[in-house]
Amino acid sequence: MNDEERLQPEAPVTGQGRMDVAWGANTGDETEQELFNANTAQGGEVFEQHYTPWRGTLNPRWMRNWAILRHHLLGIFRKGHRPWTMPTRIFILIAFLASLSDAGMTLLSGLVGSSEFHSLFGVSRDNLYGHVLGFFPRNVLYYPIIAALLVGSVISEDREHGTSALYFSRPVSRVDYVGMKFVSVGLIQALVVLGSYILYFLAEVVAYGRGWAWMVDVFPMFLAGFVAGLLLIFTYTSIGLSLSSVSTGRFFPGIGLLAIVFGTKTLASIVKNLFGREILYLISPYDCVAHVGQALIGTQTTYDQYSWTYSLVALVAMNALALYVLASRVASMEVTRE
Amino acid sequence: MEDDRIIHTKALTKSYGPHVALDSLDISIPRGATGLLGQNGAGKSTFLKTILGLIQATSGEGTVLGYDIRHQGVEIRQRIGYMPEYDALNPDMDAIHQVRYSGELLGMNPVVAMNRAHEALQFVGIGEQRYREISSFSTGMKQATKLACAIIHDPDLLIADEPSNGLDTKAREFMISTLNTMVNDGQRSVLMASHLMDDVERVCENIILLHKGKLAAQGKIRDLKAIDREIEIHVWGGATPLEQRLIDQGFRVRREGRVMRIAHTVDDTATHILRAAAEVGAQIRRMHEYEASLEDLFLAIMDNLGYTVKSSDDLLRSPMEAKRVDAPESLGGGAS
Repeated sequence: MNDEERLQPEAPVTGQGRMDVAWGANTGDETEQELFNANTAQGGEVFEQHYTPWRGTLNPRWMRNWAILRHHLLGIFRKGHRPWTMPTRIFILIAFLASLSDAGMTLLSGLVGSSEFHSLFGVSRDNLYGHVLGFFPRNVLYYPIIAALLVGSVISEDREHGTSALYFSRPVSRVDYVGMKFVSVGLIQALVVLGSYILYFLAEVVAYGRGWAWMVDVFPMFLAGFVAGLLLIFTYTSIGLSLSSVSTGRFFPGIGLLAIVFGTKTLASIVKNLFGREILYLISPYDCVAHVGQALIGTQTTYDQYSWTYSLVALVAMNALALYVLASRVASMEVTRE
Repeated sequence: MEDDRIIHTKALTKSYGPHVALDSLDISIPRGATGLLGQNGAGKSTFLKTILGLIQATSGEGTVLGYDIRHQGVEIRQRIGYMPEYDALNPDMDAIHQVRYSGELLGMNPVVAMNRAHEALQFVGIGEQRYREISSFSTGMKQATKLACAIIHDPDLLIADEPSNGLDTKAREFMISTLNTMVNDGQRSVLMASHLMDDVERVCENIILLHKGKLAAQGKIRDLKAIDREIEIHVWGGATPLEQRLIDQGFRVRREGRVMRIAHTVDDTATHILRAAAEVGAQIRRMHEYEASLEDLFLAIMDNLGYTVKSSDDLLRSPMEAKRVDAPESLGGGAS
């Protein structure tokens, strides 16, 4: 029945005409269809949400700082803490074992009983210096590379992943944040540099049955080497972390540190060979630490054109610059977005 | 007796050189859930940083949970939980250890932090995935992990910055219900900054609206909506003359085809509408009080401030418009 027939007086009353008047025409909506949601059962999800209050006590500042230190330090050894990459962990292990080569040779010389062998590898003024500050292989293949691997993923990764917000939105000050990161990176390096240094010293004691008199006699020399090692670690860490604080990736700080350590050393060597002047060694962090270290331990200096105090001043200046960059960059790190 | 207000500021001002980021804000936020609204550059982030004690206010004063924002930033950050908008998780860590570490950074004992991490992750719904690496998580799971990090120490106040941003419908629903559970069951307060008005409306009973560093509105959503009450009518025939008649009588009329919304300015607005309809011969098929959404309220307030804002409907209709509005003015953005 079309509209014309339906609206005739004799047409049967269906109510459709009234509905059309009320709600619109019955034409033009033939393609419309009703949409409805089927009342389907929800899949079995067993989850009941309860908010559990906690009324414990929060510990003071030292505990928070200890947490940061533990997080970074234990991450080298086990899961659940800062996830250092596997290559970093493997390299640290290899470098640590390689750093113990002189300790092993000392033990061997003690077993063989060869005095020539001992004079070559045993504890002496030159060998103590060489264990910490010898250029090849330790300060070419081991220590700067460990520092580069570590600093490459400390502050820069916080910037990259936004994890700095995790620290700064909590009661952790920027001084504590950067201080504990610095100490953490330094301690991991110290495990290799100074840990192997102590083991080397103990190897001499064990292999040759050294007594208290010998130990007391050699201790100032040992202590000087230890301080030189601290100076080396501090310098690599401050330069490395300053580079880490200005970047958002792992590559730049690591490669930047190696470029500074090896680039300045190479430049100084080129100038020395071409012009016979050693002055440019003052821009090389390694050379400056080595010069000061030689003066501390009392071994013959290889930078004898200038006083070791020049190197000390240069070292203080480059560390101050690095720490200034580090402090200013960390101060500008955001908590709301990075 | 402890003040019922969790956040209170008086003439709070923060300037960066000549740029005034917060302009003499007098804000009072009661316990419960409060939405922090405002466009990009309104000063929301600066406000959050100021109340967290991370940046010093140029002038003015304020308290959070009774602590002075100028001198007691550490105490404030110990008692609040902050859920940042952006990624703040180490992707190479397991969720459980990330949450535990965030507790340790607050000063929790490692064993206690681990126990609470289990509880917090269970609460936010990823208890079964807590030993998975965060890099394998979806956006919703990462948001949930951030929330777990923020609530591990059961804070009195949770500051959530865009908590439902980028979530799919299911994850968004879950986040909203989780925040509601915190507020209703846990009796905790939430300050929620969000661009998603629907979400704010479903969680919060109060809002703070910032505009160019100034306070544009604050109070209960229900009360604020009353400033924009309207009567909605569906008209059959004579809609145009009726609209004109109502405008002539001084009513503000918004019309979309046969549907009109008339501002509820006088007590007997309905009577006026019916009389006008009778006079022009228009049929009113339907008539009811129009319940404005928070977005309508936001648009009305911004309109009152003389600032044109695109509604989400407009933005959804034209992605180009969305870009124009979101982009900085130097790049051709801003209100068109």
